[in-house]
Amino acid sequence: MAVAVGGASAISACVDEQDDIDVPTGTDDDSLPERQHAWDGFLETDDDGNVQPPEHHVLVALSLEAKLDDGDGDSFDDARETVETSLRTLERAYEWSNDGLLFTIGYTPSYFDRFDGELPEAVDLPEPEPLTVSEDPAFDEFDAVIHLASDHADVVLRAEEALFGELEELNDEPVEDDLTGVFERLDDHRRTGFVGEGLPAEHTDVGGVPDSVPEDAPFFMGFRSGFRESQATEDRVTIEAGPFAGGTTQQLSSMGIQLEVWFEQENHTQRVMKTFSPEHAEKDLVGEVGEALGASSGLTDERIEATEADATNPGVVGHAQKAARARENGNPLLLRRDFNTVDGDSPGLHFLSLQRELTEFRAVRDAMTGADLDVQTLNNGIMGYIFVDRRGNYLVPPRSHRSLPPASPE
Amino acid sequence: MSDTDNTKRRIDRRRFLVHAGAAAGIAGLAGCTLELDDESADPDPSDDPAMPQFYEIEDKPDAVYLPTHREAMRMLEPVEAGEYTLAPMLSYPHPFWIISGNEIQEEVPEDGNGVHLMMTVWDTDTGIVLPVDSGAQLRVEKNGEQVGSPRTPWPMISQQMGFHFGDNVTLEEDGTHTAEVTLPPLDVRTTGELEGKYEETQTLSFEFEYDQEFREEVVAGVEYFDEDEWGELGALEPMDHGEHDHRDKEDHHHEDDDHEHGDDGHHHDEEDHEHGDDDDHHDHEHDADGEHDDHAHVPYSELPPAEEYPGTHLKPADGDEEATSGDAVFVTTLFEPGSRLVDGDEQYLLVSPRTPYNRVPLADMSLSASVDDGESVSLEQTIDDEFDLHYGGPLEDVESGDDVTVEIDSFPQVARHQGYDTAFLDMPPVELTVPEVDE
Repeated sequence: MAVAVGGASAISACVDEQDDIDVPTGTDDDSLPERQHAWDGFLETDDDGNVQPPEHHVLVALSLEAKLDDGDGDSFDDARETVETSLRTLERAYEWSNDGLLFTIGYTPSYFDRFDGELPEAVDLPEPEPLTVSEDPAFDEFDAVIHLASDHADVVLRAEEALFGELEELNDEPVEDDLTGVFERLDDHRRTGFVGEGLPAEHTDVGGVPDSVPEDAPFFMGFRSGFRESQATEDRVTIEAGPFAGGTTQQLSSMGIQLEVWFEQENHTQRVMKTFSPEHAEKDLVGEVGEALGASSGLTDERIEATEADATNPGVVGHAQKAARARENGNPLLLRRDFNTVDGDSPGLHFLSLQRELTEFRAVRDAMTGADLDVQTLNNGIMGYIFVDRRGNYLVPPRSHRSLPPASPE
Repeated sequence: MSDTDNTKRRIDRRRFLVHAGAAAGIAGLAGCTLELDDESADPDPSDDPAMPQFYEIEDKPDAVYLPTHREAMRMLEPVEAGEYTLAPMLSYPHPFWIISGNEIQEEVPEDGNGVHLMMTVWDTDTGIVLPVDSGAQLRVEKNGEQVGSPRTPWPMISQQMGFHFGDNVTLEEDGTHTAEVTLPPLDVRTTGELEGKYEETQTLSFEFEYDQEFREEVVAGVEYFDEDEWGELGALEPMDHGEHDHRDKEDHHHEDDDHEHGDDGHHHDEEDHEHGDDDDHHDHEHDADGEHDDHAHVPYSELPPAEEYPGTHLKPADGDEEATSGDAVFVTTLFEPGSRLVDGDEQYLLVSPRTPYNRVPLADMSLSASVDDGESVSLEQTIDDEFDLHYGGPLEDVESGDDVTVEIDSFPQVARHQGYDTAFLDMPPVELTVPEVDE
């Protein structure tokens, strides 16, 4: 089952499944990590040591209903306690893992605008903006987003329902408080998705998802992603100084993907060239869905440096190759936690990345856009296949400041 | 073209990976070849009435060749936005070839559900067809609902249409559809009157009907040639867009005995096309007979003939009349120092590769030039109001007698309709010499 349909009907549809699975319960003590984004150590890894993301995701968009009476946020105290109690309910109900529930709450620049103070210097959180000449996205100008993730779709859905007062118990834990009155859920901006071997191919009933999506592919575009050596560590994306030390920034771009042309016009060799690099195709490094790559995307320094030359000859460059140009001393800057979607009955991607500073996302995105490369759009990695509709930037505070933080906490 | 030239154009494309179509339908389509001995001009209709019969040509030359048929299409009214005019054209979904580096793949539509949507985009002021990729985006809606995912239409060349953007677009339902086309800023050097243009994103939209009448019209309008002409060296004449509107009451198309494809003397720049090479090759009024005033004229992306380029024309080192590579013709001239195409007082090397016969610009190539085996200079793709699409760069101290080599680092990364699919692929360097300047 999937999480695309929310609400009571989805929940009742899950009840049967709920009877069949035993989801481990969580904890009420403070043993949980200070970093909300500390997921990797609680996820499984594959045989090559690549972290396997939770399979099912919901992004719950939130608009703050609680009113601020003062500039420093003290008048939020009651609301803050409500949020914290509600989030702790989730932690008590489900183990902090892919088998239970992982979640974060992040706040937009619009949220922080209401406070008198400025965000600390260590927090680089600009307003979202268009990042290529060909995109014209809408922006997440609401206040916050909760990212719920689990290998069990019903866990994600139930957690969401519990947060909004629709359940009295969650995995046998009493739901003492919920977010109603503090946050309004913005259904139009709710986003859902999935990632994992075989899941994309389950959606070929959706228009725009061709039957030719590979059975084993974890992502719609047909290849593995999130290789250990292509991912920043959680340390690398964590804010190191100031009151939000232990937090991170989250970038979320939602985009449509053109899969019919990708799978029914391009051949596998072309897809490999455009996803990785021309040399990946020439040397057959990838395998059908990326299984031959192991723990890395196979990007040597030479392949990364060859990007510009590849644009000239043979006239095509790879997405991974291009983006890797932004690495710092060979180390990736972004921790990708992206997942596919069929929101709007159309294939897409919610590209969620964590990075210490949004500027680093911008650098990687610019490298991936490849505006500096003299190459035809449809040969410019996957640029001809993705269509960004929305973008949002968020601060994911450390756990101790996760509930309605002021712009500059004590 | 003389027969002796033919052998020279036969080039080995086996170095390139040419894949058989992966779509399930292709085997059946390819099989048609076997049953075509005596009725090629009137083949049996395929099972799918929304698609005409596609025939495979065996032993295609590695050069521009005559396709099996002339496409029929429905012309829609051009739309304007900013500096652009866009003319939409619709045909049945049909095969074409996409290019990624050295990798070529035939796209074979699975069925006839949908259209082959084509768009010619030109500069409204000058009529210059903008034959460059800029990452256009196409979104189709019906009753306010998105139909399929957005897409980036392929930059594409065809003998009839010249340079255009196009793709096979699947449509599931009949009815009125709205297409929205976004043209981002043009990421290419522009010079002359075009300098500083195309810097704003423009969005254009048009409506089209997709229904049984349309399908019957475009399928019935296909004109098959005699089988013995298929694959012959040559090309269809650029289509006179005004004459192919099947919404007109009279369809001149079938009565036109004068097959215009140029395998019999129409070659390269030596002979003017019947509608084209006036002093102003961008003239909107090619359609001189005025019979089709009810229809806006769509310019064809035709480059000026060689003799219209100023400067010192470089000569092929092998003594041939014109320089060619991969069946493309290379018009190459060296401008006097300090021309308007350079910043300082360097000379300017202008290289204008084009298709034979129709002089369609070959866009999205990577070219570099070297003089007397010296350092290689990359040539920048440029559009100029006078010289149209070319590749150029500054050179210094080039003199009569110097050898100039133009290297093709990547061949035209544009998709191709039938007849262009085997040309402009294997492109050896073009060896030229700077002649004595005639005074």
